[in-house]
Amino acid sequence: MAGVTFVHTVRRSWRQVLYWGIGIGLLGMYVAIIVQDADILKQYAELAKNLPPALLQMFGMNDVATLATPEGFISFGFYGYALLVLAVYAVMAGMSVTANEEDDGILDVVLALPIPRWRVVIERFFAYALIAILIVVVAFGGLWVGILSSPLEINTTRMMEGSINMIPSFVLMIAFTMFVGAVARRKGTALAAAAIFIVGSYFINFLGASASGSLADTLQAVSFFSYYNSEDVLLNGLNIGNMVLLLGVTAALVVGTVWSFNRRDVGV
Amino acid sequence: MANHNTPVIQTENLSKVYKAGKRDILALSNLTLSVRRGEIFGYLGPNGAGKTTTIRLMLDLIRPTSGSATILGLDARRDSVELHRRIGFLPGELSLWKSLTGQQVIEYVARLRGGVDWKYVQELTERLQFDPTLRVRSYSSGNRRKLGLLLALMNKAELLVLDEPTNGLDPLMQQIFNDLMREVRAEGRTVFLSSHILSEVQSICDRVGILRGGRLQAVETVTALRHADFRWVMLRLREAANPHLLAELPGVTDLTVDGSTLKLRLRGDFNPLLQALDGHYIVDIKTEEASLEEIFLSYYGNGSNAQKEGEPVKEMA
Repeated sequence: MAGVTFVHTVRRSWRQVLYWGIGIGLLGMYVAIIVQDADILKQYAELAKNLPPALLQMFGMNDVATLATPEGFISFGFYGYALLVLAVYAVMAGMSVTANEEDDGILDVVLALPIPRWRVVIERFFAYALIAILIVVVAFGGLWVGILSSPLEINTTRMMEGSINMIPSFVLMIAFTMFVGAVARRKGTALAAAAIFIVGSYFINFLGASASGSLADTLQAVSFFSYYNSEDVLLNGLNIGNMVLLLGVTAALVVGTVWSFNRRDVGV
Repeated sequence: MANHNTPVIQTENLSKVYKAGKRDILALSNLTLSVRRGEIFGYLGPNGAGKTTTIRLMLDLIRPTSGSATILGLDARRDSVELHRRIGFLPGELSLWKSLTGQQVIEYVARLRGGVDWKYVQELTERLQFDPTLRVRSYSSGNRRKLGLLLALMNKAELLVLDEPTNGLDPLMQQIFNDLMREVRAEGRTVFLSSHILSEVQSICDRVGILRGGRLQAVETVTALRHADFRWVMLRLREAANPHLLAELPGVTDLTVDGSTLKLRLRGDFNPLLQALDGHYIVDIKTEEASLEEIFLSYYGNGSNAQKEGEPVKEMA
């Protein structure tokens, strides 16, 4: 029956929207309310000038001067970290599409029911994508409340765009983990591959940004973090091209998962 | 009732080879098997014989290396979704969502099946004495088995595929299970039941397929298998026993005497044995069911009569 698995997955996971959304939202709220005076941002920027550029790149800051702006500060203090924290949930969700249940033997029960394999993958993926979006929405709520309680003046639309910008990278991480879970068959292998993908992308991005002309700089194009660029989104608005690219790769990973999962033995 | 000669399950040279690194492991070899409509077919074999592999191939959970399976007239691979609508399945090692209650699992599976007869589900719940209000993680293995049976039976499937269905069930519940299977048969539905316990198969099955090392050795009626059935008997007498006392007795073989203790293999009834011991004081009698392997060897004579590679399967039914 169409939609049954989608509804079942959302029902089983809705609490995660609260836990993760509120958790990340509290982080956003904290980052905003610690700023007692907007002028303090200029002092932060002065301090940051003395830090090694690589360290700043590590936390997603390309230009120290932007730290003096509310947008730059929120990008540095919230959006840079939030996606890394959400990566943990993305891996958990991606593993839950097929890998966990295959490892536990539950998939035998599910796939012996009148539901095609592709539908199990698609419905679960969309359920987790919806949950990811809801987590981002709840987290945005926390950040917004924090901004309202702080002296920071920031364009709400830009802030919303900053949160929307998280979604393609977030679902890409879910899709990648789901893909390796379907291909690798072994939970441990899939977990390791997903961790390497996310952590590797992160390091390639900041190393590339901090060492122009190097191999890492060349490789930066393959890191999805380089298309995330929250600082640019908060300053200049959404980059539709980047979002389409990330969502395109996500779609390709979903198709790859269905193709791989349809062809192979289950639970062996 | 439907025609009993229409095969519900028909496999043709079905084989499965698993890859384990560079090694190939033959799990099932050229299985050609036919199960008729309305029968309870026991699929018997020791652990690792290939029973679960056969079932997983039938359900399209794994894909054959060669050969094909036709279930209810449909191709097991191409028409798997339609087949799953008409099959009730109980896996050998049942795993379910631990955080859900039994009722939530039943409702989810029912929705995926497109709805079920809830009155029948209620009846099954009562007959199996199953409490669906608890979370799966808190069920004992027996209760999990009951939930699995409920899930397999609840859509009144034309074909039930049950892998070691009574594992973990107490004797009373095994009796209820046997009654349920007889009812399924009476309704003209078919049961394919795997087991490594001969007595379980003997009590409800019409025919039995014996699998060993991934090869189907024979398909027998249960009556034929019963003739091969025997048990080990240990008798302890008060006085030293005479070795010739039971040696010539029909049905008694492999007799050993150790002082006042006799150990023997008995086929058939107990009464002639007890009559032969008339006048002797019997201190203790112990009996032990023969293992499937022993019965198999007894039936086929150390495998010399068993199916050789390339030979057609012996069918006595």
